Amino acid sequence: MANNKKYSLAGFLWLWFALTVFGVILSVWGPGYLMPRSMSSSMHLTILTMVVFSVAAAPVAAGVYAALAYMLRHNIYRGDSVPPAAEVQTRENSRLTIGWVLTSIVLTVFLLVWGLGALSVENSGAQANPLVVNVTGQQWVWSFAYAGTHVQSNTLVLPVNREVVFHITSKDVTHGFWIANMGVQVDANSGAVTEIHTTPDKLGTFDIRCTQFCGLNHAFMVTTGQVLTTQGFDNWLAAQPQRA
Amino acid sequence: MYRSKSVVTALVSVLLGGAALALAGFALASNTPHQKSLQCVPDATMANSCNLSMNTYGDSLAGQHGPTGGAHPDWVSYSNQNLSVPANTTVNITINQYDSGGALNNAFFDQVMGTVGGTATFNGVALTHVDPNNIGHTFTLRGIPGSGSHIFVSVPLPADSNGGVVKIGAGEYTAPNVIKFSFKTGSKGVYQWNCEFPCGGSREGQFGQAMSTFGYMAGTLTVN
Repeated sequence: MANNKKYSLAGFLWLWFALTVFGVILSVWGPGYLMPRSMSSSMHLTILTMVVFSVAAAPVAAGVYAALAYMLRHNIYRGDSVPPAAEVQTRENSRLTIGWVLTSIVLTVFLLVWGLGALSVENSGAQANPLVVNVTGQQWVWSFAYAGTHVQSNTLVLPVNREVVFHITSKDVTHGFWIANMGVQVDANSGAVTEIHTTPDKLGTFDIRCTQFCGLNHAFMVTTGQVLTTQGFDNWLAAQPQRA
Repeated sequence: MYRSKSVVTALVSVLLGGAALALAGFALASNTPHQKSLQCVPDATMANSCNLSMNTYGDSLAGQHGPTGGAHPDWVSYSNQNLSVPANTTVNITINQYDSGGALNNAFFDQVMGTVGGTATFNGVALTHVDPNNIGHTFTLRGIPGSGSHIFVSVPLPADSNGGVVKIGAGEYTAPNVIKFSFKTGSKGVYQWNCEFPCGGSREGQFGQAMSTFGYMAGTLTVN
């Protein structure tokens, strides 16, 4: 006996709606708690991007889960033998296909436009008088040289509310320069200098980690950083030993 | 009936797989050389301080790998890899550097960093940095943020070009450069140290072989 009962879609639609609301709430609430504390403009944008993309993905994910639940609820065959073929089989549904393709196109174009916009903001022209820090990765230590001075350090100290331009390179294998709190993550490649910039806007400490597996002590390639007031940074810089 | 057989088969497979993995783990662990820790010896002349002495060699014939040099007798090595020191203590380290060397690939490591007074003595002369083009090895110690104290100590060990012949174990070396420095330990924890001079060979940056294998140019500092 074929199972050709018609079920109302209302249950599916309500479930879809409820899961979407849950997903949107989770998307708006979650990143602020699950991601590292934001300490820079770059990280604000990263968290905002995570929220917007998650909200956009919420109805899609909710639709998949709602459809799965709806099918499991209504279309499971529980007999002992091979189920008989349905009397009426749906081979195609043009409206559903077109709707799905159009939705996918709209979502993809939205992600593209947002991504290009975020990149444009990130790559916008440098402020006047940025602090340039030359970052060197080496198995298994980060070192930081402050351009225009003779100061080198194994910890990264930055002034608040001043743009920082990182020039990043490696002395050996590829390392990954990652300041989670600042939304800065870029590879450090041997023989090449990669530039990335951000503006710290919160005082406090942060960690710097390597994100590329780089050998025996990769797990120990971690150091600390600190964002100080302008005066505090100047005092710190003046107190550092100067290399000839 | 068929279903219960499948469940039993799946459970037995998982258990057997887990047992095989556990056995492999035990076998690997039992084959890992457990090197004895070098204990910091209390300094009789100064309260709350202790002394450690190590050597660096151009091979593995005189350290903890035995007279045959172990699996890689031609690899450079420190004499000891696992160090044990008390918490909140001044640790005085003496390193006899018996190896030759060359140029650092990052001049950052020609500096003495994190030591008491920011200096080290090189054959009796106190310096804050040395020639980056004539380095044998470095002793570079760091802590991990969030675990124990933040510590960073790095001391360059100039290349040995002294004359004479010194026999240690199965190895023959020239008279060493003697480097002395002190640093203060913080809270209890396990810290990690290694050499930052590219002395490993084989891979880009010369950080392979002895640089990429525990028991040669890297080790731990346990603060008790």
